[in-house]
Amino acid sequence: MSADTLNLAAEGGGGLFTPGGPGFEAPSVGIFFPSAWSWGNYGETSPYLGGITKYAVLLVVATALVLLFLWWTSRRLSMVPDRRQSLGEIFYLFIREQISRPMMGAKGDKYLPLLLSLFLFVFAMNIMGIIPFLQLPVTSNLSYPVGLALIVYIIFIAVGIKSQGGVAAYFKSAVVPSGAPGWILPLLVPIEIISNFLIRPATHAIRVFATMFAGHLLLATFAAAGWYMFNPSAGPLFGSISVLFSGASLVGFIVFTAFEMVIMFLQAFVFTLLAALYIGQAQEAH
Amino acid sequence: MEGSLNAIGYGISVIGAGIGVGIVFGMGMQAIARQPEARGPLQTNIYIGFALIEALALLGFVLAFAI
Repeated sequence: MSADTLNLAAEGGGGLFTPGGPGFEAPSVGIFFPSAWSWGNYGETSPYLGGITKYAVLLVVATALVLLFLWWTSRRLSMVPDRRQSLGEIFYLFIREQISRPMMGAKGDKYLPLLLSLFLFVFAMNIMGIIPFLQLPVTSNLSYPVGLALIVYIIFIAVGIKSQGGVAAYFKSAVVPSGAPGWILPLLVPIEIISNFLIRPATHAIRVFATMFAGHLLLATFAAAGWYMFNPSAGPLFGSISVLFSGASLVGFIVFTAFEMVIMFLQAFVFTLLAALYIGQAQEAH
Repeated sequence: MEGSLNAIGYGISVIGAGIGVGIVFGMGMQAIARQPEARGPLQTNIYIGFALIEALALLGFVLAFAI
């Protein structure tokens, strides 16, 4: 439970069965806007540094985790991998066999470092949501997925221009479907432009953002509800009922934390898969 | 009773995405059962289809907060 959730829950803690007690306040979107820590003359008032928020700190932690992991598993490489190197190769082979090869074939192998870093980075940012005391997925702020999606957007357009041999050739192959009769092109081309160059990067970023946003809100609701219903001082009967309710909420919290872990992995996988798909489509002439 | 109509609207709209994801995974399982050796490419395509359908539900989720 993040600090914000704790504060939020503390306001309505133990409100169940208290006559005239506080009503249940479900966690609001406010938990995704932690206030900035300021020091000196900097902080929220600075036009250049909007203050260091929890998101910025967790972003640094996630980046450091990924860098350390990759450095630790890839130093002193040898033909016969030891256990440390095998751990890194598990991820590398997973990306190659499940994402890169099916999407781009052998010629996509040169994008493997990009895909591996994308996958590990998104996964590390997601997993911040269930690490005790951190518990805020970095990707639940739209700016971080948007940054990554923009990188992929620029890369796939650049790859397309390079492999189709020219700007005009690439955009023609991207927006004019081959084999379509001429009279339907005025209808098809705008649809293709909107879907390939506007909707595609938007959904690429929103997908991982919205899943993490929803998942974190769900966990925060379970935590806040469990705290709200915990009221053992309400007498023997109502007190035990409230503890039972609170326990049910705790079980829900734990089950959904495990579920979230799967979702976090899946979303990192899907993000990388779509990046590979977009690059692969730009590479091939239609 | 107080609350937001957005939540109800989102609940209704997500039925479609739910049916879609069900169809994608159901058909995917069927395809793998019929041709187990094609598991790799099928799985990849299942997840692409899942991601495309899921985007609709998630757009609805974001818009339920935004509007």
